Amino acid sequence: MTGSAQALAAQATLSATGALKLSWLLLAFPLFGAAVLLLGGRRTDRWGHLLGVAMPVAAFVYGVIAFFTLLGESDRSRDLHLYSWIPVARFQVSVGLLTDQLSICFVLLITGVGSLIIIYSVGYLWHDADRRRFFGYMNLFVAAMLLLVLADNYLVLYVGWEGVGLASYLLIGFWQFKNSAAVAAKKAFVVNRVGDAGLSLAIMLMFAEFGTMSFTGVFRGVGSAGSGVTLALGLLLLLGACGKSAQVPLQSWLLDAMEGPTPVSALIHAATMVTAGVYLLVRSNPILALAPGARLAVAVVGTITLLVGGIIASAKDDIKKSLAGSTMSQIGYMTLGAGLGPAGYVFAIALLLSHGFYKAGLFLGAGSVMHGMNDEVNMRRYGGLSNVLPVTYVTFGLAYLAISGIPPFSGFFAKDPIIEADFGQHGAAGKVAGVCALIGAGITAFYMTRMMFMTWYGRRRWEEHAASGEPHETAEPLAGGSVQGAHGSAEEYHPHESPPVMTGPMVVLAIGSVGAGAFLIINHRLQKFLAPVVGAPPNTHGFFTAPGIAATALAVAGIALGWWIYGRVPVPATAPAGGPLTVAARKDLYGDALNESLLMRPGQWLTRLSVYFDNRDIDGLVNTIAAAVGGTSGRLRRMQTGFVRSYALSMLAGAAVLVALLLAVRL
Amino acid sequence: MTGTAAPAALAAHATLAASAPGAISAPPIEYSQLGPMLVVFGAAIVGVLVEAFAPRPARRGTQLALSLGGLAAAFVWTVVIAASRQVFANGSPGHTAIGGAVGVDRPTLFIQGTIVVLAFISVLLIGDTRFSPFVAQAAAPPGATAEQEGLAAGAMHTEIFPLTLFAVGGMMLFPAANDLLTMFVALEVLSLPLYLLCGLARRRRLLSHEAAMKYFLLGAFSSAFFLFGIAMLYGFSGSVSLAAIASTAASNTSNSTLLFAGIALTGLGLLFKIGAVPFHSWKPDVYQGAPTPVTALMASCTVVSAFGALLRVFYVAFGNLTWDWRPALWVIAVLTMVVGAVIAITQTDVKRLLAYSSIAHAGFVLTGVLAVSTAGLSSALFYLVAYGFTTVGAFAVITLVRDPGGEADHLSRWAGLGRRSPVVAGIFAFFLLAFAGIPLTSGFTGKFAVFQAAIASGETALVIVGVLSSAIAAFFYVRVIVLMFFSDPVPDGPEVVLPNVFSGTAVGVGAAVTLLLGIAPQPVLSLASHAANQLFVG
Amino acid sequence: MSPVHYVALSVILFMIGGVGVLVRRNAIVVFMCVELMLNACNLAFVAFARVHDNLDGQVIAFFVMVVAAAEVVVGLAILMAIYRARRSASVDDASLLKY
Repeated sequence: MTGSAQALAAQATLSATGALKLSWLLLAFPLFGAAVLLLGGRRTDRWGHLLGVAMPVAAFVYGVIAFFTLLGESDRSRDLHLYSWIPVARFQVSVGLLTDQLSICFVLLITGVGSLIIIYSVGYLWHDADRRRFFGYMNLFVAAMLLLVLADNYLVLYVGWEGVGLASYLLIGFWQFKNSAAVAAKKAFVVNRVGDAGLSLAIMLMFAEFGTMSFTGVFRGVGSAGSGVTLALGLLLLLGACGKSAQVPLQSWLLDAMEGPTPVSALIHAATMVTAGVYLLVRSNPILALAPGARLAVAVVGTITLLVGGIIASAKDDIKKSLAGSTMSQIGYMTLGAGLGPAGYVFAIALLLSHGFYKAGLFLGAGSVMHGMNDEVNMRRYGGLSNVLPVTYVTFGLAYLAISGIPPFSGFFAKDPIIEADFGQHGAAGKVAGVCALIGAGITAFYMTRMMFMTWYGRRRWEEHAASGEPHETAEPLAGGSVQGAHGSAEEYHPHESPPVMTGPMVVLAIGSVGAGAFLIINHRLQKFLAPVVGAPPNTHGFFTAPGIAATALAVAGIALGWWIYGRVPVPATAPAGGPLTVAARKDLYGDALNESLLMRPGQWLTRLSVYFDNRDIDGLVNTIAAAVGGTSGRLRRMQTGFVRSYALSMLAGAAVLVALLLAVRL
Repeated sequence: MTGTAAPAALAAHATLAASAPGAISAPPIEYSQLGPMLVVFGAAIVGVLVEAFAPRPARRGTQLALSLGGLAAAFVWTVVIAASRQVFANGSPGHTAIGGAVGVDRPTLFIQGTIVVLAFISVLLIGDTRFSPFVAQAAAPPGATAEQEGLAAGAMHTEIFPLTLFAVGGMMLFPAANDLLTMFVALEVLSLPLYLLCGLARRRRLLSHEAAMKYFLLGAFSSAFFLFGIAMLYGFSGSVSLAAIASTAASNTSNSTLLFAGIALTGLGLLFKIGAVPFHSWKPDVYQGAPTPVTALMASCTVVSAFGALLRVFYVAFGNLTWDWRPALWVIAVLTMVVGAVIAITQTDVKRLLAYSSIAHAGFVLTGVLAVSTAGLSSALFYLVAYGFTTVGAFAVITLVRDPGGEADHLSRWAGLGRRSPVVAGIFAFFLLAFAGIPLTSGFTGKFAVFQAAIASGETALVIVGVLSSAIAAFFYVRVIVLMFFSDPVPDGPEVVLPNVFSGTAVGVGAAVTLLLGIAPQPVLSLASHAANQLFVG
Repeated sequence: MSPVHYVALSVILFMIGGVGVLVRRNAIVVFMCVELMLNACNLAFVAFARVHDNLDGQVIAFFVMVVAAAEVVVGLAILMAIYRARRSASVDDASLLKY
């Protein structure tokens, strides 16, 4: 198990040279874009989107150059020291950027997929008055995400971690006028704080134990640390990952986060930010290597989430929420992979990269449909759209085949090795996880088939809907549609294909969905590339082993079931009552209730405690945590009577005490 | 004008200090080294002449240009002195000018430079006439017809500018004063204009008057104590020069009652100005009642100046008596941190909240002072810079959030501000995070530096109290942030006006420095430690 | 009489001034008590000048007088403004700012 730790230690991190010396450019480009767009005000309205696109693209170009430079190096890890933050005594934190195999993968994903999605946004948000602000936030996000993956120590990683959280908060709440968006942003913020608390505690523990927060220092230190410390570190990092990557029990915010504009969902809540938790776990592999207990917990969380996400995705009628459930489930696979140790890291990353393509493709496809359908998200109002939006249909379909795990598309190559690796583990836990992962594969195929049939085939329910003149109860009144949604009048849908600026990125992503998995897995390309960072998995067998065949069979069965329910008979325009599982899944499997009992209730108890401590003065701004001190405070502030003579008295008394103290010391 | 008295006073006094009784010879006056103060005082006097001779419409522009120009020139001059090889030749710790009355050394120049820059920003706020917070005619009682006429005519007391400059000049002299008489004069020169400025608010004039009266009475009361302390120390050593007191204290062990009474009472005068508990009670009332730009000036420049004087007196004059005054100051530091943080929790007025926060911060700086080392001095200097810029920025934001009747001071009015104006609320939240000491803000770096210095000097218990009270303090800062971003906006809530050049610069500079000292504090940290490398000249 | 007696008297005067600030309500009287404290300081300076046989203390007393005069100018202006606004010079009436 310590193999990977040794591998990492053996790989001495060298100072950056040549093109890699410029790796700060990766941050500088999007940061510059964000600064100009956010500070420039309305002056930049006219050309703002162009800058907003140009900066991530420039970062991508640099990323490609850096990637090939790195390929040419023998040891392939470069550390760029930027400056020392606070060099006070023992507290030495240098801010540096680490360009190695793992981070360059993420750099390419973030800037590549990010650029495509931002290009797409130009079309998607063409009519939005606040477009400039959107591109500013997106650039801010890209910069923060790059900082997260390029950091060479945990503290800088944490800065990026909070930065993406901030950008995500701003973007979920981008449509401030929608109350639901503001509430969702708030919820994402609060739930993420819980996860962040885990990460920050982990960092403090590292500093307390090892006196450093740099990756190399910490990984060197864990070798000699006690098992309690490594277990605690592993679990705290897992808590951090759960919050950011929407894993059980901190998953509920992701569904609400779909309130944000669809490109945001594609970039932040599917392709990149939510995978930061997986990055954190994989990056911390030397810690996990020494904490088998924590690794088991990681695998358990991943397994539960992949099932929970799939079940939720199967019940949602809102296309974006269904995709969000699917994202949860896919990240569950990645987390499970990370929990398997060296056997799974590389496959977790492979799945992460190919998922970045096909899930972004699916979201952009969904966005394209919504774009043509007055921002309607209810799939029961779709149907028969395949002729109307042909390009979207084809790209969505390819991504569908990829995520369902049909050979030879991406998902098959990326997901199957994880399932296989489960069965390769010793002990029952691996087998249980493997069986769950197999079931998950079936569920994935089922809900995606459901989505396909409800959206693209069957009757054109939107025509019937318009004819029947039913009140329109859109779940998501957006920029254009808010008025209609509000007064509930019947509405005509005029679906149409999106402009090329939107379909172009979708086509590129579709190509990625088709080929990325095969490219990364066949010939062990990614495995060889990443081996210095995460260690090598034990030799994998071919793809058509028993688990591989079972997974494919289950996927086919899921597709068949999906067709049986949603393709064979017409889809009802209103949701049927459904069984208990469906009902539960529609309520996000009570994720909110869980959060409420875990997070909110204790908060409410504290609130009651604070009422006990007489906090009435603060105008109902009842504050939970200040309760204990609040009472004291309320009494102390009464001493500030407002009478100048009492102030003078306190000064005189203070003077007397001061004189007495000084004389007493001398005596 | 009192300001004119100061340099003359120094000269006359130095005569006595430098020569035997009876023989009066002119002391050398090193004009070049006193330049920054002379420029500020000179600009103030010219300002008075402008009031006398310039036509009313031209006054405001002239005064503003004069004030800003004077402060800018003073800053440049300060930098020139600090870089001068002549003053700091061969590792010299600096000079004493005017026969020993004024110290010109690196810590003092650092403090003076900080004061001048902060004063520059405050003057920008004072000069922002769009929603002038200053009364049209101070002589007209509230509600009188004269007041209405003055408001209608758009009149403004342009005397505010020379008053501010006199106060700033006093603040620059205060930490430079190398004998206690000069220090007393400087204290009065800085205080008297501030008393007046506090009473000049345009709205809520009764509160403003009350603030001025409280500040004045308590200030006069405390300076009487300060003066009596000086008398005691003079009785003890026969001189008011800091160096002479230090050398007498080292050699003479009798008469310790005089000495310790002197330390306690002079200490009281200084602690009053920084707002340490139990001499803090003026601070919330005055900060709340005074016009916000004046509050910004007091919260930043006055605190910096008073800490400079405190550091000089306790490090130079009482430097040999560390073990005697440390316990007393320890108690005060603990009280200041805890009481400031605890009372702040239940505040409902933004300016009052920042006043209590300022009290708590004074406690944190005292932690650095208590380290009694070059590290302690440099960390305290850094903290003062960090806190000064953040606080000026925060008060500048307060001037932007307005109700029809003036600034929206009550916290309940700030609910949901993040929805209405995310940028302004975001910047204010950033300042609050800096006050709370969250990493990547200057507040964290500053707290880290003072706590580090205190631990290195063995003051671990003090640091534990400091960390606990900053945790308490963090709650009320976060409470305000939660209020701004997670509460529903109040109906007919306050309007957030767009900053113009003046307030925009103040907010921008405050935020930029707060951020810069958080992510790349190294240059200023090394500047502060360079300044503190040699302590004050004696 | 030895100079020590003068110092003792100055302490007593200072105390009287201090107590006066605490017990009197009229702002003018409070302010006069502060002036009394300053004058007590002056007495102490002059007495100590005698003890140490140098002139510093006596000169300082002049400075203090000038400063006190300046303080009176500012103080009376503020008290005047308050009196005109409230028709009261009681320091206890001015207690709107509190807690």
